[in-house]
Amino acid sequence: MAVNFVISPAVQSVLEELEIQRKKIVSTNYKGWGLILGGILLAFPVTNFGGLIAGLLVGAAAVIPGGVMLYKISDDTAQYKSRFKKEVVGAALSSVDQCLTLDPTNGISEAEFTSSQLFTTGIDRYHTEDLICGKVDKTSFYFAEVHAEYKTETRTKNGTQTTWHDILKGIVFTADFNKNFNGVTVVRPKDFGSSIGAWFSKNIFSVGDKNVVELENDGFNKNFVTYSTDQVEARYILTPAMMERINDLNQRSAYTVSLSFINSSMYVAFPLDKNYFEAPVYKTLLRADLLDDDISILGFMYDIVHELDLNTRIWTKQ
Amino acid sequence: MIIVAVIAILVLIIGIGIYNSLISKKNQVANAFSAIDVMLKKRFDLLPNLVETVRQYMQYEGDTLTKITELRGKALGSNVSESDKLALDQQIGSAVKGLMVSVENYPDLKANTNFLNLQSTWTESEEQIAAARRNYNSSVTTYNNAVMMFPGNMFAGMLGYQPMPVLETAEEERKNVDAKELFNN
Repeated sequence: MAVNFVISPAVQSVLEELEIQRKKIVSTNYKGWGLILGGILLAFPVTNFGGLIAGLLVGAAAVIPGGVMLYKISDDTAQYKSRFKKEVVGAALSSVDQCLTLDPTNGISEAEFTSSQLFTTGIDRYHTEDLICGKVDKTSFYFAEVHAEYKTETRTKNGTQTTWHDILKGIVFTADFNKNFNGVTVVRPKDFGSSIGAWFSKNIFSVGDKNVVELENDGFNKNFVTYSTDQVEARYILTPAMMERINDLNQRSAYTVSLSFINSSMYVAFPLDKNYFEAPVYKTLLRADLLDDDISILGFMYDIVHELDLNTRIWTKQ
Repeated sequence: MIIVAVIAILVLIIGIGIYNSLISKKNQVANAFSAIDVMLKKRFDLLPNLVETVRQYMQYEGDTLTKITELRGKALGSNVSESDKLALDQQIGSAVKGLMVSVENYPDLKANTNFLNLQSTWTESEEQIAAARRNYNSSVTTYNNAVMMFPGNMFAGMLGYQPMPVLETAEEERKNVDAKELFNN
């Protein structure tokens, strides 16, 4: 389903107000950073000619007001971003479906992310925001931006160096699945490690991963490795039609998706390069393509319910 | 000398691994078949309730209902082989499918909650059996590959293991489940 969003006159007037606020933020940012930079640059020649005290006084006279300006404008920036999400992105959501709601400060909790079993790596830092909830016919769903990371520490001459690595930077989508099931089935992108595990499972069973599910769809097996606590249940969920649908969904995504089926819900993780639903600060709001990317990702998520045919309720789960 | 011993130990470990792997694959096949059996039992248990519910409303489908009851009786008989049971299940499936299509002529039945629940449970059992059959076929394929390919074939020959046939998928199972077809016809 292609989602068309036309900016209404009410949203247009909000955008015009926000544009004024945005320009003020940009100009204050430039002034604040300009004062800080100017103060530092001026402090060096003054120190040379008039001594350290004079240099410090001149530098501080510019740096302190600059810092204060930046500090003061940070509240305005937060308010500007919050209004954009609520009044502009919120309007975009309503235009797609009245049932859709956005909660910018909430997301998918770390506990839920971990229990989804989409990823096995332990989380050291977690951030989530922009929770969007909705319902298409009988299927409730929600999704949010998630940034989960783990850290590695290496010892160097100067001490310990910490490096952060992404587990997932993108969107986690979850929906009520249309069939009842009791176990856990996880579909993960195929990588070198999982391929080796699957090979051992297939050929030398006693040392391999016994939970690997060998499915019949070659295209699906090329991209994914499936694990499940119940071999029959995994096939009950991943019917030939469902595997085709997941293949199609995966082709539309820039990176290979991960899926899990747990507690009668399905979770899909989409790795993404961009932070969505954010107000631009250094680009004008008064442009036709302002919400194109946001609307496109929204339409993509909204379509999952149709694409995976989650509204078909011919089984005992209604 | 040490190298020879290390190689011998390695060969022994690999040999044990392949031997155990063959045994577990054969057990896996048996286990997969018992999963089908459990699903069939669940499905056959639905039939008396379905037949009784439907009989109250359908005046002209008496023959079909009798046929379903007879087929169930045969399938649950003590001397029925596994392959016969599967064949009988396919016949029951076709008969029930025909019955579901006839439901269109009985609006009162279509509105009966008990019948609707039974219909959903029946559809669910069909998918569960299809899943169990796919699981069985996957186990058989893995087992057959192990039995027929080197080096597993050497052990398979010694153990007297033979390749097994996979279950043919019924034409209906290849089709996607179509809700409209099931409920609106």
